Amino acid sequence: MEKGKPLNTQVEPGGKGLAVRELTLSYGGAPIVREVSLDIPHGGFTMIIGPNGCGKSTLIKALARGLKPAGGRVLLHGRDLWAYRGKEAARHVALLPQNPIAPDGISVGDLVRRGRYPHHTLLRQWSPDDDVAIGFALDRTGLSDLAEAQVSELSGGQRQRAWIAMVLAQRTDLLLLDEPTTFLDIAHQYELLELCRELHHEGTTIVAVLHDLNQAARFASHLIVMRGGQAVAEGPPAEVLTPQLVEDVFGLACDIVPDPRTLTPMVVPHARRPANADPATA
Amino acid sequence: MAIGTPPRPSEAGAKRAGLARRSSFLLLGLVVLGLAVLASIAFGSHPTSLSEVVAVLNGTADSDITTVVESRYPRTALGLLAGLCLAVAGTLMQGVTRNPLADPGLLGITAGASAGIVTATAFLGATGQWAAVWWALAGALVAGVVVHVIGAVGSGSGLVRLVLAGAVVSAVLGAYVQAVALSKPQVFDSYRYWVVGALGGRDVGVLMSVLPAAAAGLVLAVLLSSGLNTLALGDESASALGANPALTRSGGLLAAVLLSTAATAAVGPIAFVGLAVPHMVRALVGIDFRVQIVFSAVIGPALLLLADVVGRLVLRPQELMVGVVTAFIGAPALLLAVRRMKGTS
Amino acid sequence: MTRTRAASPRGFVTIGRAVAIPVARVSVVVAVVTVVLIVATAVATLSLGRLGIPVADLPGALTGGADGKQAFVLERLRGPRLVVAVGTGAALGLSGALFQTVTRNPLGSPDVIGLAAGAGAGAAVVALFLPGVLPVPAGALAGGAAAMALVYLSTGTGFRNPGRLIVAGIGVFSIATAFTQYVVYAVERDKAAVLTAYINGSLAARSWSHAVTIWVVLLVVVPLVALIAGRLRIGEMGDELAGVLGAGPRSTRAWAVTLSIVLSAGAVSVAGPVAFIALTAPQIAKRITGRPGPHLTLAALVGALLLALADLAAQQSPVPVNLPVGIYTLAVGGLYLGYLLTREWRKGSL
Repeated sequence: MEKGKPLNTQVEPGGKGLAVRELTLSYGGAPIVREVSLDIPHGGFTMIIGPNGCGKSTLIKALARGLKPAGGRVLLHGRDLWAYRGKEAARHVALLPQNPIAPDGISVGDLVRRGRYPHHTLLRQWSPDDDVAIGFALDRTGLSDLAEAQVSELSGGQRQRAWIAMVLAQRTDLLLLDEPTTFLDIAHQYELLELCRELHHEGTTIVAVLHDLNQAARFASHLIVMRGGQAVAEGPPAEVLTPQLVEDVFGLACDIVPDPRTLTPMVVPHARRPANADPATA
Repeated sequence: MAIGTPPRPSEAGAKRAGLARRSSFLLLGLVVLGLAVLASIAFGSHPTSLSEVVAVLNGTADSDITTVVESRYPRTALGLLAGLCLAVAGTLMQGVTRNPLADPGLLGITAGASAGIVTATAFLGATGQWAAVWWALAGALVAGVVVHVIGAVGSGSGLVRLVLAGAVVSAVLGAYVQAVALSKPQVFDSYRYWVVGALGGRDVGVLMSVLPAAAAGLVLAVLLSSGLNTLALGDESASALGANPALTRSGGLLAAVLLSTAATAAVGPIAFVGLAVPHMVRALVGIDFRVQIVFSAVIGPALLLLADVVGRLVLRPQELMVGVVTAFIGAPALLLAVRRMKGTS
Repeated sequence: MTRTRAASPRGFVTIGRAVAIPVARVSVVVAVVTVVLIVATAVATLSLGRLGIPVADLPGALTGGADGKQAFVLERLRGPRLVVAVGTGAALGLSGALFQTVTRNPLGSPDVIGLAAGAGAGAAVVALFLPGVLPVPAGALAGGAAAMALVYLSTGTGFRNPGRLIVAGIGVFSIATAFTQYVVYAVERDKAAVLTAYINGSLAARSWSHAVTIWVVLLVVVPLVALIAGRLRIGEMGDELAGVLGAGPRSTRAWAVTLSIVLSAGAVSVAGPVAFIALTAPQIAKRITGRPGPHLTLAALVGALLLALADLAAQQSPVPVNLPVGIYTLAVGGLYLGYLLTREWRKGSL
């Protein structure tokens, strides 16, 4: 039923970047993700899409060592992610979770500085690289002038950028974002996605969970589609995103038209149709 | 990640089934409560047979037995009232503070009542073990209001402040109570008897003294119950639904203060009823406060009376106070339940 | 802070290139002030009252020039008591700071999960059933340890899961408290009064062996706390982020709770269950500085100051009866935290 590239379940381990092999994830109960095998294209901008509850956030968490696999493996540069030490892995992969907690009374600069934790040792909690990395992160997120401001006093868009700055300060070549646009208005959503694209062009591998299919199609170089704990399709957006797939995965009848600006696929849902209506009659 | 809930075709049927379930639970609860009342009248340090009790209730028993059995009426009535007050207060407090572990101690009620008792016996010449009820009532009310003023007035995120304020007031009053109790032997005596928490040894006067506070608290609780339902959705949703979250929260806390004050002043601090009953009720009937309050009012007294009966029987002819029994039954139950808790936070 | 700088970063203490520890200026100022206050309290403790050593004689007395009466006061009467008070207060403050940080509970301390209540019950058992067989402090320590073991076993996840920890702790706390109250009710009045005084925590008649005990505990535990301090700071941002940053939030939490319990148990073994310091000291430290972070050092210093002050009050109090220091810690800590809360309320800052 999938369009696009057939699912590749037999890639050899040992490549650059992130890959998962027969990965099963659970929070102690029924598995949320079942025996998924994927390669995250290194140097790509990968978006994971799928309906609520499909396991995409769980998967991205496991990619950053945030959840220990119940079965299978996550590979980072060909080596089991859990064979790395915690800080060592965090120098390669950064993840911004959906609901990080800003400690009471923390300033933007201090928050961003905490992203340097993986680069510190017990006695050496500062290095000359820190100021470079923090300056870079604040600069790229446009927060240089707000470094002394309290995080609690920022607007929603600024706060999300402060969190992005924190993971940028980690200076990893892999950046994972779990629904980074959720609490932003549309202008800030695009601003953030443009920032991701710039970072991608500069060589960072980016993986993001996103709800908006049109944004995913517009920005991603690679899509992974999940449903019911399985990866059901992957590939370039133009090949993956078809009316049949959207209907199969989301239960939404739609047309796919080229985006007038970028010519990337754009989902146009059918008006007032039950989910199981025949798309051909629309 | 949110899990989608597909529409269920049988929702109406499920609702009907839920109603039937609730009705049968309520019926069961009432039966247990009735049995608890009977047991409370029938059992005591002086053994009485069931037929004798029935005879007393019919008015056909001889006077000795009648005296024995009738002496159990006040403590049964107190048990009913205290159990109801504590359970409903616990339900309100857990709902309002969204803290599943809230109980009357948290808001300084216990400390306030202790301070009242100690002050009355030490400085105001209140004599007799239970003449100080009025003072306990006043002390607990003042403490509850002070905690509320320090803690809850102010901006929205007052729950941490409320808890801290409760701890502060409890600490300062506790220091005062201990200081006075350790300096004056008579005060220490009445305090250490009171602080264990017991239903026995109180007369109807005690019940009558606290009844107004209990009644006011209960009425307020019933009036606020639908408002409390909207509060559970969060302040913003509640406002959007036309409720006034600050007012509802204050009212809910005031009702909880009144109820737990009445119970604590009358019978002393009693652990676990206010903590455990709301959890049992939520597990049985779900999160609707209107239903929760009704069930709390049935299950709370039943549990407290049964605990009191157990206390009368285990050390016969001596008695174990109900406050000790509830802790010794409640705590192990809680410890066994811990492992089934979900989540990491 | 945002500009690229040479090797002297602001807000850090550095030693060569190998060591750089973050220290905020406001914290340093508060810490220095607290230390000065502790010293002042210590001077007052030694010199006030009928037996006090006059301030002018203190330097001489401390450097070995004390005569008979002064030597007695310094070496037997008030000296050990003061050293115990400062060490116990620091242990309790640090204990509370650790516990509150990892449970995200502003009222957290090992007392919330029943350590002090267990100690009280242990003391009651010894006083009631084994009088003369075991010293009461040993009973208290055993009771506290038993309570913590019960909590540990009941959760099924050790000390890792804060929710379970608190609920199991409430169970243990209630049962221990009910037992103690029953014993206090059931024994004769004089015994009950002695027991109640002990359960409030007391620093009366402490010896140098008590002082050695608590300072050895501090000496062992503080370096271990320093080892996890950085992870605790990262843990503030939630388990998920702390996990992906490599700060091992679950094992960090188990360590923090364990160290917190050891510190509190050490305090119990030398002073009985002193109330409220573990609870208030971290809150006071946080509210004075208004900065994020576990405030471990500051909480320890504030705890030491609180207990030293409370003991000064206990020794110099005009009340005819000798009240245990725990009552003064309740009053001092409670009033001060109350003051901070109402001040914030007026500023509308919380």
